Amino acid sequence: MFAYIVRRLVYGVITLFVLSALVFMLVQFGGGSPLDRLRLNPRMVNVIQKLTVKYGLDLPLYQQYFKWLSGFVSVDRFVVLGASAWIGFGSVVAATAGLFFTKVKATWFRPARAFGVVAIWVSFFWFAKSRVDFAMDWGDSFRGDGPVWDLVFGAAGATFRLGVTALSLALIIGLPLGVFQAVRQYSFFDQVGTLGSFIAFSTPIFIVATGLQVVLAFYLERWTGLKLFFVVGMTQVGYGDLGRLAQMGDIFRHLALPALSIALISIAGYARFQRAAMLEVLHSDYLRTAKSKGLPRRTVLVKHALRNALLPIVTIVTLDVAGIIGGAIITESIFGWPGVGRLYIGAINAVDYPVIMAIVMVIGMGIVFMNIVADILYGVLDPRVRYE
Amino acid sequence: MSDVLLAVDDLRTYFATEEGVVRAVDGVSFTINRGERRGVVGESGSGKSVTAMSIMGLIEPPAGQIVTGAIDFDGLNLLELPEDEMRKVRGGRIAMIFQDPMTSLNPVYTIGQQLIETIVLHQNVSKSAAREIAAQSLADVQIPYPASRLDDFPHQFSGGMRQRVMIAMGLSCNPELLIADEPTTALDVTTQAQILDLMLALADDRGTSVLLITHDLGVVAGFCDTVQVMYAGGIVESGSASDIFYDPKHPYSWGLLGSMTRLDAAQMHRLNSVRGAPPSVINLPEGCRFRPRCDFALDVCRERLPLLGPSDVEGHTVACHRAAELDLKLVTSEGAPR
Repeated sequence: MFAYIVRRLVYGVITLFVLSALVFMLVQFGGGSPLDRLRLNPRMVNVIQKLTVKYGLDLPLYQQYFKWLSGFVSVDRFVVLGASAWIGFGSVVAATAGLFFTKVKATWFRPARAFGVVAIWVSFFWFAKSRVDFAMDWGDSFRGDGPVWDLVFGAAGATFRLGVTALSLALIIGLPLGVFQAVRQYSFFDQVGTLGSFIAFSTPIFIVATGLQVVLAFYLERWTGLKLFFVVGMTQVGYGDLGRLAQMGDIFRHLALPALSIALISIAGYARFQRAAMLEVLHSDYLRTAKSKGLPRRTVLVKHALRNALLPIVTIVTLDVAGIIGGAIITESIFGWPGVGRLYIGAINAVDYPVIMAIVMVIGMGIVFMNIVADILYGVLDPRVRYE
Repeated sequence: MSDVLLAVDDLRTYFATEEGVVRAVDGVSFTINRGERRGVVGESGSGKSVTAMSIMGLIEPPAGQIVTGAIDFDGLNLLELPEDEMRKVRGGRIAMIFQDPMTSLNPVYTIGQQLIETIVLHQNVSKSAAREIAAQSLADVQIPYPASRLDDFPHQFSGGMRQRVMIAMGLSCNPELLIADEPTTALDVTTQAQILDLMLALADDRGTSVLLITHDLGVVAGFCDTVQVMYAGGIVESGSASDIFYDPKHPYSWGLLGSMTRLDAAQMHRLNSVRGAPPSVINLPEGCRFRPRCDFALDVCRERLPLLGPSDVEGHTVACHRAAELDLKLVTSEGAPR
């Protein structure tokens, strides 16, 4: 298992190298230069010359690439504030090692252990966030917005808030919907669910997003006078002066519509996948065996059917988690959400390739990493899967 | 040994499909005594499995429906039993073993979990006691190291071993009736006899009646006391195994026997086959259902469906208009008199 993970990580690094070279070339051959905007002004000739030298735009392409690469992999700053972070890190490592050497012969133990390790590390990073100042040297934005690392991670918080909310909504609604549809196959409920999924899945996101804005924000206010949802930004002006409860309410009122737009399509997708997976299991021989043992219907459906029907969904959901990192370009643009997606589209328009490269690499790393996570998770959940 | 355990009376199980109503089981009546080994033979689609599923109460509405009939199991009418009562019978007093052991066990739970689940459900025992019973039942089906193998998953067993596990699961609650639906069809020929021997020996020890569904006449000859032959949703002949084998009364049984390879045949003969194909159970032929394929059909066969009735041998029943006059023993497969 350990050797398998190491091998997958090595393959992942190679993949990322190839990805970076390809994207770098695509950006270069895409036409346009980061300094094109300045050329409109005749008095900028000297500035352009200075910036060209400063950014290394006069160098041959391969030198530009290696200049970017050497910067990308080097650490800019790494400061640990106080001993508590080191103590925390030490105890997290010890707890992880302890969990892995504990032997409990029960089937719930392996998933519980995996969950425990993830939870420990996530809470550690949460704790370390304010005590550790870490940054890679990803260079400066060509648009003069400052260090790329700070730009990307500044936007990442907004993107995670939106993506995690949308994904949770999709899981909480989509999966049960698919299960119930499968259990009552061809019923009225199933037919309505199928039609609804079909419509939601095939409507372009910009229509869903603007539609929600028009109906739930504009017309709702016009007809009922209720101003429930905001259509732009993450928080309103004067957010800092609000009380704690009012702040939470404000976050929710900004988050609801963009999260719902993204979630609608995912709900439809998950419901379809879950329905198909569940139907396959419902018609399986081992489910007939479970019924013939005289088990209650509920046990048959939850313990024997759902447990198996969730297996294929795990892979899909894990890869969707990786998809969060890239942000939602269209939705973020429509709702003025200051996330990675909007940063990305702005960088592309300005041929700001340090930012483009950084975002592509973060997305790439996320996908490589979550692919490995999906495979490991599958091995934990399905006893038939073994890695060597 | 003659008290009746299971009495099925005029069972009709239909399935609604887009092409029409499939009359999978259409008027089947039979009884099984305590300790009896009953073989059910017939071609695919003759209603063998659906009969078994109807007894187990596993016909899923709305597609499948038991239209009429009664299934009396030790004084209980299974068709009118409330669902929670039926669940006690299912798996506890009537157990079922299925055809394909490779797919009949849940892949994500250990053998032990699946065995213990059944035992705890039907017997009033603690989990640790159930584990001991589970280990004992694995030992009964001759699985080596039963206690440690309880923690293995189904994919760690071979096909034959998995069928042993299914048998252990079926018999772990000492059922009164064991329904085995082609239990050896998916297995290697060399393990088939072992598994059947084992299953029937264990059933004998417990006094369990067995309903063995198969299309392998050799299996029936070797292992069953009584046999019923099914064709297109109905029973066409029923009697003791030796009666059916040495004195078949129905042309279909006779045809089936003629199509069987036999090592003990007195003289070499051509392997026969029943001509034609089984009828569609959606559009059954008028009159006798076997008529279009029968070498002995008369006009009366076209007009009336023959009912299962007594023959000149005690306990041997047959559904054929010409049963009394035909002497099928004398008819060779080479030429049939008309």
